[in-house]
Amino acid sequence: MATYEKHHCWSILLRLFHWMFALSIVFLVVTGFYINNPWTNTMIEGSFSFPMATMRYIHYLAAYTFSSAVAIRLFLYIFGNAQERVLDILPVTGRNINNLFRTLLQYSYISDKHDERLGHNLLAGLTYLFTFIAAVFMIVSGFYMLYPEASFWAGWGVMIFGSQQFARYLHHILMWWFMIFAVIHIYLCIWNDANEPEGLISSIFTGVKFKHKA
Amino acid sequence: MADTVNKTLGPQLDRRGFLKGCTMAAAALGLSDAMIPKLVEAAATAERPRVIWLHFQECTGCTESLLRSSHPDLARLLLDIISLDYHETVMAAAGHQAEQNLHDTVDKHPFILVVEGGIPTKDGGIYCKIAGKTAMEILAKVAPKASAIIAIGTCATFGGVQAAAPNPTGSVGVQALVSGKPIVNIPGCPPNPVSFLGTILHYLTFKRLPALDHLNRPLFAYGRRIHDHCERRAHFDEGRFVENFGDQGHKLGYCLYKVGCKGPETFSNCPAVRFNDVGVWPVSVGHGCIGCTEPNFWDTMTPFYERLPNVKIPASGIIDSADKVGKTVLGVTAAAVGIHAAVGIGKRLIKGKSEE
Repeated sequence: MATYEKHHCWSILLRLFHWMFALSIVFLVVTGFYINNPWTNTMIEGSFSFPMATMRYIHYLAAYTFSSAVAIRLFLYIFGNAQERVLDILPVTGRNINNLFRTLLQYSYISDKHDERLGHNLLAGLTYLFTFIAAVFMIVSGFYMLYPEASFWAGWGVMIFGSQQFARYLHHILMWWFMIFAVIHIYLCIWNDANEPEGLISSIFTGVKFKHKA
Repeated sequence: MADTVNKTLGPQLDRRGFLKGCTMAAAALGLSDAMIPKLVEAAATAERPRVIWLHFQECTGCTESLLRSSHPDLARLLLDIISLDYHETVMAAAGHQAEQNLHDTVDKHPFILVVEGGIPTKDGGIYCKIAGKTAMEILAKVAPKASAIIAIGTCATFGGVQAAAPNPTGSVGVQALVSGKPIVNIPGCPPNPVSFLGTILHYLTFKRLPALDHLNRPLFAYGRRIHDHCERRAHFDEGRFVENFGDQGHKLGYCLYKVGCKGPETFSNCPAVRFNDVGVWPVSVGHGCIGCTEPNFWDTMTPFYERLPNVKIPASGIIDSADKVGKTVLGVTAAAVGIHAAVGIGKRLIKGKSEE
């Protein structure tokens, strides 16, 4: 029997980020689909019924949660613990590049060998970084659409997207990435949890992972 | 009674019509009524500013809208308060005489340049030639001497329909070719004449151009989103939409969002100023906004009856809505996940679980 020991891995701030991010995405996608293509058509006038206004309100509440979560992640990329910093997931060191190849081999069932490390594997880390950048684009395009007449957002929005419509288009396309990402992310978490007894899934609640005793 | 104003402004325009036009322009600019006398004074001054109006790749729709608006007052006012030295549609001169007028003004006088139409740049700009010179050459000669440039219409501002992908003639707007000159963009297909007149009168009254947005459009006309001033906005918030043209919701005047109205992404004063002096604009007569005041609207706002442009995947021939492409990719991802899991389970069944 192999012996494992507990290691503190994720700070409370990172776990907070994760759940703010995950829950806000669920609300943003559902209300976002409604805003793009409102499926209700009340045909009732003179009654209390504001489905679009309500959906937009929820969308904006979730959007501020999402933006706060991204701000927290940016802070952690720079000031977080060793597993949370951006250098831990960039393929710039031999250890990281090695991990990237070994993760790819393991995920494609070519190798059974698991490269044990406390933080993200490189493939996951880079995917999260890509999602983080996509999230920044979502935030900028979102605020550009929400405050089109505010000089700050109009300046950035016109510079990056050119027009409101292109911002809307990109906002919509990138939303699909978050859904696709969620499918892959949840699957690979379960897959890793089933293959390696690291406590991967519980770590995002407890912050603790398990490693082989040295 | 001596009608002095009519003498200077031409017999077609009476003083009442002139004052109405000035008052409308003041309202469009958001000026207080105390400013109307100043506008009138500036507009009626004997020193009429010279204007050169160049036509390039365009349909003359902007000129038409200006000339044939239901405000003959307004059009007449415009043509009479300025000295229109060169305008191919309305000038009396022709041939060498017309060219002579153009060159005289450019060489000897300060003038305002109005450009209507896109400028083709591909293959040396040969796709638009006037008097043997390309549009690029004419603009390069005239623009540096103008005191200010007004680009009227979506063609002159952002390239217009001929700049739609794949833009075979390489058409661009004025601001892409001219630098170092104050440029005001009055986009629209066509723009409201009031927006153009307001800009001219602002310049005449204050001797400077009006405040502009990030796309060089005057804020008084393009500062607010159509959606936020739309008379159908309440139906949007309350979830009452036209599902198809001609349905019950359409007859009841519900929101046109679901049939592709681009009001939420378009900046213009259409809902406030309206057109033709009879209080109409596209949305008021039951058709969604097509976003004609925005850059590249032929590419980004089409299909006009859908919310969003289609996704075009290069070299695959796939052109479909963003949601269909998204659902397909999501489905493929889910299938790949399923196959990956099945391979893992199969491998474990064959090899047995490795001992930790």
